[in-house]
Amino acid sequence: MPEVVVPIGPYHPALKEPVNFRVIADGEVIVRLELDIAYNHRGIEKAAESRDFIRVVPLLERICGICSHSHTTNFVKGIEEAMGLTVPRRGQYLRVVVAELERMHSHLLWLGVAAHEIGFNTLFMWTWRDREAVQDILEEISGNRVNYAINEVGGVRRDLRPSAIPGILKRLDVLEKRTERYLELLRHEPTTAIRFQGVGRLSRAQALEYGTVGPTARASGIDYDIRKDDPYVLYEEMPFAVVTNGHGDVYGRTLVRIGELRESIRIIRHALENLPQGAVRATPPRVAPRAEILSRYEAPRGELSHFIRTNNTDRVERLDVRTPTLANWTSVAVSLVGQHLADIPVVVAAIDPCLSCTSRITVVDEGLARTSVLTWDELRAHGIRFYREKEGL
Amino acid sequence: MTEPAAPVTPARVVEAMADFGLVTTPRRNRVRIVVSRDRIRDGLLRVQGQLACDHVVHIAAVDNGSTFELHYSLTGPHRLIVTLAVAVPRDDARVVSVHDLLPPAGIYERQIHDLFGIVFEGHPNLKRLILTEDWPEGEYPLRKDWKMDPNRSYGGAVTEAK
Amino acid sequence: MNLSQRLVGWARRKSPWITVFNSGSCNACDIEVIAAITPRFDVERFGILAKGSPRHSDILIVTGPVTLKQAKRLRMIYDQMPEPKYVIATGACGATGGVFQGLYHVLGGADRVVPVDVYVAGCPPRPDEIIDAVVKCLELMDEDAKHGGKEWRMKAAAAPPPVEVTA
Repeated sequence: MPEVVVPIGPYHPALKEPVNFRVIADGEVIVRLELDIAYNHRGIEKAAESRDFIRVVPLLERICGICSHSHTTNFVKGIEEAMGLTVPRRGQYLRVVVAELERMHSHLLWLGVAAHEIGFNTLFMWTWRDREAVQDILEEISGNRVNYAINEVGGVRRDLRPSAIPGILKRLDVLEKRTERYLELLRHEPTTAIRFQGVGRLSRAQALEYGTVGPTARASGIDYDIRKDDPYVLYEEMPFAVVTNGHGDVYGRTLVRIGELRESIRIIRHALENLPQGAVRATPPRVAPRAEILSRYEAPRGELSHFIRTNNTDRVERLDVRTPTLANWTSVAVSLVGQHLADIPVVVAAIDPCLSCTSRITVVDEGLARTSVLTWDELRAHGIRFYREKEGL
Repeated sequence: MTEPAAPVTPARVVEAMADFGLVTTPRRNRVRIVVSRDRIRDGLLRVQGQLACDHVVHIAAVDNGSTFELHYSLTGPHRLIVTLAVAVPRDDARVVSVHDLLPPAGIYERQIHDLFGIVFEGHPNLKRLILTEDWPEGEYPLRKDWKMDPNRSYGGAVTEAK
Repeated sequence: MNLSQRLVGWARRKSPWITVFNSGSCNACDIEVIAAITPRFDVERFGILAKGSPRHSDILIVTGPVTLKQAKRLRMIYDQMPEPKYVIATGACGATGGVFQGLYHVLGGADRVVPVDVYVAGCPPRPDEIIDAVVKCLELMDEDAKHGGKEWRMKAAAAPPPVEVTA
């Protein structure tokens, strides 16, 4: 079968991580996708073996600057489990608040990026403007807009002033109205309908088979959500629904994320209105006894898994991190087969990869015996042009 | 795959998997079974079949100083985590690939190969995934006996900066 | 003159185009760079544009600690830029590799690969601090233009620091 190899790697001014794909295409139609994700590998797991429980947390916070709280919470709760340590309720509630705020900033970020991918820059600007309200709340609670450093083994490092709560709740009200607006827009806007519907199709069976997680899986009707399935930090006390639908495409994933924005607002409100009194942290022992823990967390992108082995010292013997994006790559490779090159930006963006795409795309058109290197921008522009001509957009 | 005859509880998991090796229940919703490496495919087939596990959570790799270990963790609608713990000898670091049973293993096994040097037999494409393409052969950074040598380079060659 | 006025003045003289290159960062810096474009900070009103192509850019913003995989690419991107070109290294990573310094897949700092003109402190630096860095870079560009180039401020390259293995 004639194969065109398209290495993908762009200079994307709008973020994301360096990914290299080689897309094997037959003209415009994708035959196969090969992955190369070394760009972001730093050696964190090895470093974790030589840093104690205090020093390792700032390192893990920076595995990903978008879901930093996910990584630190997942790690510290694993160590707390190994230690048999009970974190005070107020500390757990604050972890939930920051976790859901992180989900919100991540989903709003994603919505803007997805809009940018299809040339809908107005929506990009709106969502990122609204996202600033979330960053403000995070800054008020933690002291930083990004990399909040709120976690430590035993609880959280800062308490929340009760006087801050009414202001936060008011901002949540505004965010709630904006979220409804985005839902309405999504339902009526032709650009998003054409570029998102039917694109990146994954049936329920396929989504399961390929190990898909997070909103991508939930848009294929799979109701796995670690906050319900394997609750942690007192999520079992929070009122929320798992958002799923059966669309199985990028449109469905968009609906899931917007639905989760609403649910996050519900959770944050409940947590703040019912914040327990008392301490926010317990003093942990210096060492963690021998244990093997599989710690799981519902990060904005999906299930995050930390395999932790402790050995009666003040550091881990092993930390093995499986990020949700790694779990979702297989589904990207599969769901792009048979689609157009023009769909790549949207389908890749739809799994919300925790990656920056400073990757280049090499398109090898075997039929024409020609190789060209595209940047992500060029591929995105190609996508926008392609659909403009095709659908008269 | 057969439908499970009864709801999948930890007790059912223990019963179904007892013939593979030591079974422990570290937590109320976690069951861990020691499986020998020549039986890992059988173990996974049983977990996917009788125990209705349809989602692979993690394939973790560990170097405990003397042997390597692979931990295949799966879950299903029952929301339990079933983990198959396999020992892989250091001086014979090979195990059969399970990418056909668990498609995501295609990526996970490739990553483990890069970092530990474990060979997954039958894997269609064990080339570099997570380390730079000019990372030297035979250097497996996550092995316990591997320590970075500050006096050598590990790839990442670039022409001299001004 | 306040910051806005100075910026508009420069923008009139020169509208800098910026390329952002991620050399293996956690993305925090990248997000804050992009936040600088969005309405709260709105750097585009000063004529500063984020462009994808290095061939048309004046300023390269480098995020990340420079992983081994990205080192060659970073150099290539820099080499593709036309003169006069400037590099801003963001955050702790850009300066020394940050929390990743000494890890086996990281070089540790953008200046291991390209000459850096401006460093922005932070982890990550805030969007306003990044804009401030761009402003300082514009000031440098002006100074350099007066002196006919960069040579007046270049020191001899320092010896690379001894690598402390932390992993």
